[in-house]
Amino acid sequence: MLLTLATRAATLLGVLVVVLLLVVVTLGATGFSDNILQAVVREEMKGIRESLARTIRDPAQLETALEARRQELVSFYGLDSPWYTRLPGTARRVVTLDLGEARTLRSFKGSARVADIVRERLPLTLALVTTATVITSVLGLLIGVSLATRATSRVDRLLSYLSAISNALPSWWLGILLILLLAFRFQVFPSGGLYSLPPPEGRWDRFLDLAWHASLPVLTLVLVSLGGWVYTVRTMVLNTAQEFFVTVARAKGLPESAVQRRYILRVAAPPILTNLILGLAGSLGGAILTETIFNWPGMGRLYYDAILAADEGVIIALTFLFALIYVAARFLLEVLYIALDPRVRYS
Amino acid sequence: MPRDIWKVLLSSGSGRAGLAFLLVLVAVSFYVVGTYPRDFGLSRWNNPAYWADNPKSAPPRWVSLLGTDTTRHRVWERSRPDSVTPAGDREARLYAFSFSLGPKEVPTFLSLSLADAVYYGDPPLLSLRLSRPDGKEIGLFSYSLPGPRPGEASPTARFQDTPLRIFLSRDEALLRSTSRFLSQEFGLQLGPPELMGKVESALFGTPQGEGFVPLPGDYTLAVQAVTTDSRDRIGQLKLVVGGSSYGAMGTDAVGRDIASGLLFGFPVSLIIGLSTALLVTAIGAFLGVLSGFSGGRVDTLIQRSCDILVNIPLLPILIFLIFVLGQKLWLVLVILVAFGWPGLTIITRSMVLQLRSGQLVEATQSLGASRWRIMFRHLFFQVAPFILAQLIFITPSAILAEAGLSFLGLGDPSIPTWGQILEQGFRTGAVYVGYWWWVLPPGILIVLTAMTFMLLVLGLEPLVNPRLRSRF
Repeated sequence: MLLTLATRAATLLGVLVVVLLLVVVTLGATGFSDNILQAVVREEMKGIRESLARTIRDPAQLETALEARRQELVSFYGLDSPWYTRLPGTARRVVTLDLGEARTLRSFKGSARVADIVRERLPLTLALVTTATVITSVLGLLIGVSLATRATSRVDRLLSYLSAISNALPSWWLGILLILLLAFRFQVFPSGGLYSLPPPEGRWDRFLDLAWHASLPVLTLVLVSLGGWVYTVRTMVLNTAQEFFVTVARAKGLPESAVQRRYILRVAAPPILTNLILGLAGSLGGAILTETIFNWPGMGRLYYDAILAADEGVIIALTFLFALIYVAARFLLEVLYIALDPRVRYS
Repeated sequence: MPRDIWKVLLSSGSGRAGLAFLLVLVAVSFYVVGTYPRDFGLSRWNNPAYWADNPKSAPPRWVSLLGTDTTRHRVWERSRPDSVTPAGDREARLYAFSFSLGPKEVPTFLSLSLADAVYYGDPPLLSLRLSRPDGKEIGLFSYSLPGPRPGEASPTARFQDTPLRIFLSRDEALLRSTSRFLSQEFGLQLGPPELMGKVESALFGTPQGEGFVPLPGDYTLAVQAVTTDSRDRIGQLKLVVGGSSYGAMGTDAVGRDIASGLLFGFPVSLIIGLSTALLVTAIGAFLGVLSGFSGGRVDTLIQRSCDILVNIPLLPILIFLIFVLGQKLWLVLVILVAFGWPGLTIITRSMVLQLRSGQLVEATQSLGASRWRIMFRHLFFQVAPFILAQLIFITPSAILAEAGLSFLGLGDPSIPTWGQILEQGFRTGAVYVGYWWWVLPPGILIVLTAMTFMLLVLGLEPLVNPRLRSRF
């Protein structure tokens, strides 16, 4: 069991390393990292100039002193050597999100540091994706199981069509449809944002307001993935329900609910979870676009804003963080998988 | 085998529907490839001058059938005058544009364009008059072509490359003459600044209360060009009476004909989807068969790379790479292929693993067939139906990935796609002001195209899933 977990962890770590390498090498080879470092040098030079100007009065002397300091900084950051020698440094910067200051984007508190901006947005994305995933999984299980128990051919066919449609439906377009319909035509939900303006007083009211604003994005994410999810659950449950041990359990006279819970669902759980794991990357991507549509100030919307503002530091940080979130979520699910599947646990 | 595929496809409803949709997609794509210029994206779509004379953010023409009052968009182009009357040593050339406005029609703008003008003596003098259904006439505007520069050879040519476009609705002189007309005919005192933005409702209406009511009936806009030499030429004269609806699919905020952009998207999305899917399946299937049949170190190497690549979240990487390396469509394809093949390799390998120990392999081996021959003459054709289904299955995901990327503003500016049209609509706020004709059609087309391939996969299911094969 530990061995399995260790292999999975190694693979996921490999994923992270590959993403990091890809990011760092691309940045280095295209000269992007040079631009970032040069900006850092310029920033530091500004401070140095101010402090030196207080002690050195002679302008010519000041310039030579500044030039000397600049050379020091350039060689300190390795800007005078080829880009591949700086790869470890760039990697460290990406991992610690030490990516300098954003050009125009600011955190809610007004900080320009990339790390500050991203840190503020992270919980909002996590909240959105987690809520949507939990709702989808619960609904998918309920609907899928109930469909599997009374699978008639007409419902079955309708379901495969619906699942095909939901596979073809981009989350962002569904979001636009929902905005047009529910926010403008019927005005049930707000079209975007985090809170009403002005935000309501009191913790409970604020929470309700937040939930109200989150409902459309969550609905979008749920609708997009529910079709495929229900179909998966239904197929897995149906496959298991045809096994002999289920017939035996029924023959023993066990109540149907117990058969379903302990004999069918318990056995179908691991493959269902596998599908959840496989769909994770897709739902993260869906979240990026859905946040953009609903102006939900998480990391996805930040991506869009950063692209519009061409803010490379923020984009690098977001790419790495999304990979990190994905890997972390994957690992959690793998652990859950091992807990669910006795074959893995006892091998 | 190919005959089997057709039989299976045609026997299911979803297969037939998918094939019908695919036929339409391919037909439209061929039409577009045959009729559109190659550089459509740069020379037309992303060239605002090309769309200047279209109404901005106008709904499609057919909304009037649904009960919304809109004004028709009218464009005239003339290369020769309707009549020429000699006046002394001069000539008055007359271009008359007659049109009839419906009860609720109010033009949204007026514009006059000139191209390819050549004159020998004095520069021609143009004037524009409007006669209204109530018998009133307004001298709107006059314009003299730029005179010859010192030392310029005769004949003088003007506006050969870029036409001169006069946007009459914002023209000072036109506003002044309209103001004069209103005070003379109706006793209304409205200065040119007050008329700015509503000069059309004054020209094509009668004052009532605070504003104007539309005046329906027959109008004539007459352009008179007075020339001093009979050889003078005005190659093209274009008059636009702007409407509030346009074409089959309306226009966007720059006046672009959305229908033309949507049509261009057909071949583009097919090319994106199919070429990505073909490359992914070629690489994925090859490595899958190789990995499954060879085993050993090759297998381990391929499987480890697959494990890692298949686990990389695609959209963030795609965003990052396209942002850093540049917004090129071919680059999107390369990235989609680079991260897309491992999924297929893993599944193909597992199928080949089962087949490898079968009697077919043993028999061909004993006949002395080489490894490559076994792999790609025998094993490959056993998994081929499955790979075909995967090819169709991957196509829509590539189309959707490109659309998502374009939607984030990272589309290739030289090649308009449905995702880009949607993105422009979203970014300029079309969603929030209800310009549905701008955001719904591209989305519907994306979904329909993706659906087409999903339906084909559903139709092929009996071929791929052996459990269902018993039906035939």
